[in-house]
Amino acid sequence: MLELWSAATRHGLWRRLWLALAEGERELGVAIPDEAVRQMRANLDKIDFDAVAAYEKRFRHDVMAHVHAFGDVAPAAKPFIHLGATSAYVTDNADLILMRRGLDLLRRRVLDVLRSLAAFAEKWRDQPTLGYTHLQPAQLTTVGKRATLWMQDLVLDIEDIDYRRRTLPFRGVKGTTGTQASFLELFQGDHEKVRRLDQLVTEKMSFPAPLAVTGQTYTRKLDAFVLSVVAGVAASAAKFSGDVRMLQSFGEMEEPFESEQVGSSAMAYKRNPMRAERIASLARFVNSLEANANQTHAAQYFERTLDDSANRRLVIPEMFLATDAILVLMANISSGLEVHPAVIERRLAAELPFMATEQLIVRAVRAGGDRQVAHETIRKHSLAAARALKDGADSNDLLERLSKDKSFGVKLKDLEGTIDPKRFVGRAPEQVDEFLRDVITPLFAGESARSERAEELRV
Amino acid sequence: MLMQASALPLTPFRRGKVRDVYEVDADRLLLVATDRVSAFDVVMGETIPNKGAVLTQITAWWLRRLEHEVDHHMLSADTSEIIREVPQLLDHEQELQGRAMLVRRTTVFPIECVVRGYLSGSAWKEYQERGTLAGEALPKGLRESDRLDPPIFSPATKAEEGHDENITIDRMRSLIGDPATTELQGLSRDVYEAGRAIAATRGIIIADTKFEFGRTRSTGGEAVEKVILVDEVLTPDSSRFWPADSYDPGHGQPSFDKQPLRDYLDAEKRAGRWDGNYPPPRLPKEVIDATSGRYLDIYRRLTGHSLDPNGSH
Repeated sequence: MLELWSAATRHGLWRRLWLALAEGERELGVAIPDEAVRQMRANLDKIDFDAVAAYEKRFRHDVMAHVHAFGDVAPAAKPFIHLGATSAYVTDNADLILMRRGLDLLRRRVLDVLRSLAAFAEKWRDQPTLGYTHLQPAQLTTVGKRATLWMQDLVLDIEDIDYRRRTLPFRGVKGTTGTQASFLELFQGDHEKVRRLDQLVTEKMSFPAPLAVTGQTYTRKLDAFVLSVVAGVAASAAKFSGDVRMLQSFGEMEEPFESEQVGSSAMAYKRNPMRAERIASLARFVNSLEANANQTHAAQYFERTLDDSANRRLVIPEMFLATDAILVLMANISSGLEVHPAVIERRLAAELPFMATEQLIVRAVRAGGDRQVAHETIRKHSLAAARALKDGADSNDLLERLSKDKSFGVKLKDLEGTIDPKRFVGRAPEQVDEFLRDVITPLFAGESARSERAEELRV
Repeated sequence: MLMQASALPLTPFRRGKVRDVYEVDADRLLLVATDRVSAFDVVMGETIPNKGAVLTQITAWWLRRLEHEVDHHMLSADTSEIIREVPQLLDHEQELQGRAMLVRRTTVFPIECVVRGYLSGSAWKEYQERGTLAGEALPKGLRESDRLDPPIFSPATKAEEGHDENITIDRMRSLIGDPATTELQGLSRDVYEAGRAIAATRGIIIADTKFEFGRTRSTGGEAVEKVILVDEVLTPDSSRFWPADSYDPGHGQPSFDKQPLRDYLDAEKRAGRWDGNYPPPRLPKEVIDATSGRYLDIYRRLTGHSLDPNGSH
């Protein structure tokens, strides 16, 4: 991802765009010699950045600096480089290519995370654990089922990435204010050739279509669309990191910790969820930038204003780079999550008798009791057991209290039989199985078909 | 050689990576197959001589052969005849030679009707991972490139950028209705099976293919709308063609038409000289000639005679 946003990649793309433009113009009859095209092709990545810097110092214009530096190494092409084009031809089209590749890279990382989480969810599919609503113990769920919630968010992100990736248009060949006037001049009024050039260059760069109309730049709405998908990935990761941090605080689960890792410079015993915390930190940064993209779009006047430029140069790469880092962290955490069933079960045991009250009432009625009496008995003893826990009791003794209460009339052994945690997880294990079967497996199957399709297939 | 069929005095209707479509009038279109070739999703800078004419004349040959199986959109693939019908094209006879087809306009169904007669490509991947094809269970123990009897119908929607999305038959029903789904599926299977059988006697395995259908408009001579076969038919561009004499199930098969091109591009990629993006490498003359030769060979094998440079039969 770092390489993607490097000067070498960006300006290599500019040169490719100049080549595509020259080739397209040549195919449509502009007298550009073969030697010009040949020299351009031979120097796509041989960029002398010192020469560029020297030109830029003179011209105070980055695109013109690159035009001249390219012309120096491809002298036969010098008279034709950038013919008819405006700066946005290279800058905007290159940004679209970069963003599209960026989405591809993020997508691959999201899939890595999903692979790890799929194995995790399968392994812990039926490990009961406390579910929380309002951050208070609620009904039970399973460790694996909770992982499917994280996974589903990422699957939705992938669907969004795919849609954006597939439909992202090219700026194309549009000229200074988007009217293609310079190209109409170049082709002596032949509108069809101007349209063809736009489409030809778009095809060469493997985009589905050029935008139908533009100002000088492509509408900055496209940035907002793409960056909102990127921010969505960051948000999914942040939600995951929050859960991991809390579970680590409970002691139920921990992110990986290397054998020589130090938790705290002072508190030697500490094991901190620092990777998950770093996700949270970066994701907050990414999410704070999402709104910026729409503001940039909103602030564009008429055919374009330059107040987008410096802002975009920071926001676009930074959002991609930070989200890439987030996903590297998330892949690392999700492939090495440590689960501590003993802690989970201990915490469960403290709450489980309360959660079983519905079942306990049924048990009492089956033993010949009165439902209303049983309810009152449980209420009384529950409050007492909860009080005792808060006052220092080391376990939840609700069941003992009930078994000693003659009015309840059920033996301790029978009461304990009603609170097997597996009875309280509903369909969670089956939901994990179904989610993996119906959502994840087809996604991965589609994935290999997709990578094969990329190897050029019509069928 | 025709890079861009750009200079025709007709209104452009649609331009594809390798084919251009022009409007002739309210009832007719002109399809022009160029010599452009794409591989690994990138359009090559060079053209493949005769490719466009081969594709057009193969489609024409099949449509004549399969006339009893299916109604189709072809009015003429004979350039002289087309020029008599569309006199504006008089000055373009040379560049259109063999590669143009005059067709009836239809309302095209937004579905790619894929029929697979051999287990290959994305179908093989799906089978490996899930034991299914287009979501339906297949017998266990099949190998890559094994023949499928009966062939499997696996529709796709037409998506941008050539990456069609596979859909279920139920989804197809919801898109175009139950009767049309049944009809397209039946026609696709019939045409493919007839084509597969004919090609097999000529040393060509048509491993899978993709059809498109359109509904005629009742404005023509007929009052009744009917479903007819449109687009290219059983060509190496719309199908996977394998040489039968080297057929060897258990792994992937070479492509009859594009193998020289793919081999060359693979070698360029492996050598680190091409990253898979624009610009593609320049194709050496041997590769262009070998690929062109493959197209002519396919035409000769299928039809039993060489491609007539005048494009008439």
